[in-house]
Amino acid sequence: MSGAIVQLGDVRDQAQVEDAADVVIIGTGAAGATAARVLTEAGLDVVLVEEGAHVGPEQLRSDMWSSFKHVWRDLGFQVASGRAITPILQGRCVGGTTAINGAIIHRMPEKIWARWRDEFGLGAALPYAELERIWQILDRELFVGPAPESVLGKNNSLMRTATERLGIAGNLIQRNVKDCEGSAHCNQGCPTGRRQSMNVSYVPRAVAAGARVYATCLASSLVTRHGRSTGVVGRFRDPLTGVRGPKLVVHARRAVLLAASAIQTPLFLAKNRIGVGSGVLGKRLQAHPGTAVVGVFDAPVEMYRGATQGYESVHYWDERMKFETVAMPPELAMARLPGLGPELMRELASYAHLAVWGVQVRAEAQGSVRAGVFGGTQIEYDMTDADIRVLKLGVRRLSEMMFAAGARQVLPGVHGLPPAISSVDELAPMFDAPDDPRLFHTIAAHLFGTALMGGSAFNSVVKPSFETHDLPGLHVVDSSVFPTNMGVNPQHSICALAWLAAERLV
Amino acid sequence: MSWWSFERRWLAVIWQTLLPSGTPGGLALGARDVPLDRFLDELIAFAPRRVTLGARLCVWLLTFCPLFVIGRFALLSALDDDERLAVLQKLAASDVYLVRELPTLFKMLGALGFAGLPAVQAEVGIAVRDEAPPDWVGAEKP
Repeated sequence: MSGAIVQLGDVRDQAQVEDAADVVIIGTGAAGATAARVLTEAGLDVVLVEEGAHVGPEQLRSDMWSSFKHVWRDLGFQVASGRAITPILQGRCVGGTTAINGAIIHRMPEKIWARWRDEFGLGAALPYAELERIWQILDRELFVGPAPESVLGKNNSLMRTATERLGIAGNLIQRNVKDCEGSAHCNQGCPTGRRQSMNVSYVPRAVAAGARVYATCLASSLVTRHGRSTGVVGRFRDPLTGVRGPKLVVHARRAVLLAASAIQTPLFLAKNRIGVGSGVLGKRLQAHPGTAVVGVFDAPVEMYRGATQGYESVHYWDERMKFETVAMPPELAMARLPGLGPELMRELASYAHLAVWGVQVRAEAQGSVRAGVFGGTQIEYDMTDADIRVLKLGVRRLSEMMFAAGARQVLPGVHGLPPAISSVDELAPMFDAPDDPRLFHTIAAHLFGTALMGGSAFNSVVKPSFETHDLPGLHVVDSSVFPTNMGVNPQHSICALAWLAAERLV
Repeated sequence: MSWWSFERRWLAVIWQTLLPSGTPGGLALGARDVPLDRFLDELIAFAPRRVTLGARLCVWLLTFCPLFVIGRFALLSALDDDERLAVLQKLAASDVYLVRELPTLFKMLGALGFAGLPAVQAEVGIAVRDEAPPDWVGAEKP
């Protein structure tokens, strides 16, 4: 069959849309698109179902709100509740979160894999050598390479200066970008289509090989026959207005793959009463929460020029923290800047002199996700006291790095501290304060663990073969199956596991 | 669900206090100079219901807070500019998390609209990539 991307506008007048394929995949992010890439090129017929819209670079605007509207989940307002309210960042579009992330590529650290092998018995199911073989292919196909000097920009080069002066390890970030222009617009959706997110790489590649993508279509239930998953039912729906379109029924001759993310996958499974008896479905939600530190420099930084995220330090990875640059657009920087009224407007006027770097914590906290009362999503996540202590130390170290790079002031963004400091000694009260997430404004990205992989249906949802314990023919191939977080950006690991799962279906 | 016109005025006053025009050493532009009312229309039309309901509740809380913050029986919008800013600053410095998040919520929402405008971005020194304003500036009421 010929491939196509079909959206609500294409089928609005139809009563029902029906299709059939060897494999039906729910989700077009890192996992779903990669599985489609493998399966189509092995000669299988594939259909992908995606809740969000297909948004091309020509449809993207440069402001953050337009991006929130069209490619972010809940317009950027998805949050987890706990002691503090924590924004949970996810894309909702063809390409999923790969369409809005900073293009950071890491392989799963071997220490993490060893933990999966030793504590969760997954060594034989996920051989590291196999993952390395797949990463090599992914590196080649997704143009993975270090951020080029030509688009580094000062926000990134200043972090390099800091690491060199302090004698700590730092490196140019490995990114999946081809001929990056350095527009610092990764999080709005790459305006030039240079980032090799799934919407410009594996989804078009699968479509070219015959896959059909039903975008703006929310998968709601499974078709089953003789105790086996044989298809998916969904409904076209405008992601912004909620206006409903026709029903979609897709029959799967071989398998259904669930790749909807660690938030939506457990919700879909719970709705279809799969994995509920495990006691872990929707639980064990793990993430990489983090916060940003702002430095004020005398010379212009102009973080709107250069790669959004081009430099990082994993020097303190064993202490559960990772530092990375993040060029923050003025809409988000303004919300992060201290002060109200004239003070805020003066801070904003110095935007060109600001550098923003983030600390990402490999948190030990575990949260949960379940359906909300009125059809929404209820996410609960609360960093532990130990996580907060890591965050405090991370803020201190980032502040030291800012000063080492030449910052005149640092805006730590911690409640109870001065809005601007001139020395890290001024951070001392933070360590005397209770270990409370409400001291900070944190965000959480990189979500894992809500449909755990394991050997028993009594304490896991998915077998080491990626098939669910409860329903043959249904496979979960996204980061829901990860037993732990990783301390590095997970896209490449998600792709590799999905690739492995897809290869086993061929 | 549309907002009452007085609720929209209350929010406009909050935004004008948080993002004033003509700040010496700051920006010439402020909330008063840009059509944030149309941005509010977008929020109401498209943001999750819990967000818009929460924002509406918070507008009421802020509007009636002067009695509890400075002991004045007056609406926030009835205070003069300096008093209004002082009330919001006092809330923002509170040791009670949800209290200090009240002004922060409107700072964040206002920033999303205000700082996304090409004119504002140009004023802070950004080489603006897309000179046309976001769609909401010229949009009909959703």
